[in-house]
Amino acid sequence: MKKILTTLCIAALYSTLNISSACAAENEDSALESYNRAMFNFNTKVDDYVVKPVAKGYRAITTDFIRERVRNFFANLKEPASMVNHGLQGNFADSGKSLGRFAVNTTLGLLGTFDVAGGWGLKRNKTGLDATLAKWCVPDGPFIVLPLLGPSTPRHTVGLAGDALADPTYWADYYASFGKDWERYSFYYGLTALGFVSLREANLDMLDNLTSTSVDVYGTIKSAFLQNRLKLNVCATQDGQPASYDFDFDDEDAFED
Amino acid sequence: MKKICLAILAALTMWSWSAMAAIDAQKAEDFVKDLTQQGIEQLINSNASEAEKQARFTKLFNEDLDLDFIGKFVLGRYWRTATPKQRADFIDVYRKLNIQTWSARFNEFKGKRFEFLGSESSKSADQVFVNTQVPMPEGAPASVKWRVKETGGKYRIVDIIIENVSLAQTARSEYTGYIQKSPEGVNGLIKDLRAKLK
Repeated sequence: MKKILTTLCIAALYSTLNISSACAAENEDSALESYNRAMFNFNTKVDDYVVKPVAKGYRAITTDFIRERVRNFFANLKEPASMVNHGLQGNFADSGKSLGRFAVNTTLGLLGTFDVAGGWGLKRNKTGLDATLAKWCVPDGPFIVLPLLGPSTPRHTVGLAGDALADPTYWADYYASFGKDWERYSFYYGLTALGFVSLREANLDMLDNLTSTSVDVYGTIKSAFLQNRLKLNVCATQDGQPASYDFDFDDEDAFED
Repeated sequence: MKKICLAILAALTMWSWSAMAAIDAQKAEDFVKDLTQQGIEQLINSNASEAEKQARFTKLFNEDLDLDFIGKFVLGRYWRTATPKQRADFIDVYRKLNIQTWSARFNEFKGKRFEFLGSESSKSADQVFVNTQVPMPEGAPASVKWRVKETGGKYRIVDIIIENVSLAQTARSEYTGYIQKSPEGVNGLIKDLRAKLK
């Protein structure tokens, strides 16, 4: 009976809010939720014992200046993915800007560590395969927690994999270590690990704050992650439909699991 | 001719009626400007002591945020079945926890400023979204939308939407999901939220 009621509620939510797949994603399947929570706990343990201490150590031995160079370096490696995907989304001007940024910052910006192009008015405008698929109306699918990589959805996962293929260091390593199987990708993996640490360092304060005030970190991160993704789903939110954040404060059933 | 006149008259009456009932977007924008400039930017960058900043921030928070309204929403359907004491206790701990969270997080806005991008109407006539963005040192500016509600001429914030993430909605997902799993229900939530207070 409860299931029927829930189904009816979801159906009602669909027809009134029309947020479609994105909204359903917050009401997750219980088997999937128990997997997700288990994987989330595993990731949290890995973070507590390995990633977070390493990120803190990284913060202790580097300066703001160095960390910004590192973040810029990794952001620059994502420009080829942005270039291709702006193109796939039909934004050719943005695609050209990404190409220009990559060319200028890789050379004059010393391997991307300085955002020279940004100073010339070519501002960073990141996109990826996930955004392209969203524009092509590919549904997002349910919330899933990936091992080590954390919160995701099936479409988000495909996007991550696709964007990784557009990373120039992946291909540089592939060709540089040609014929030497044992050392293939070791450079790439090392860089990926550094990128991971750099990303974790940038989020240290925010995540510490969140875990210290939330009674359900999993629930909070899931909700925030899915809401943030709604801005990509241009297909589901056509003109004339209310934005996802324009909910009715008197609606007792909105957003409840 | 008479019919057209009547139609125009009716349309005008309805238009002015809806204009009267709806929140004044310009005033809402001025309210948020005041809040961000005098409240946040000056407060963060001032030389006042931490205790003084904390006191001023708490005052600002209590005056400009409609936490009774938000608290009712974040408790969802459990608000209806909650006793008056549970409601009061929840609002109290929710208020304290928010002040604690935000006084820590507003420091992230140190040296930054809000750029105003106009407003956006809401389905609710007494509410409006004031759009702002905060330029970031790296990458695209962060989008911050302020949901403003007018109650008897007084403007208050009822939600803040950062990068499409609504704080009210996130809190509701967290709390209602928690109550559902907690054997002690609303009391369990209040107890565990109190434990989060420093």
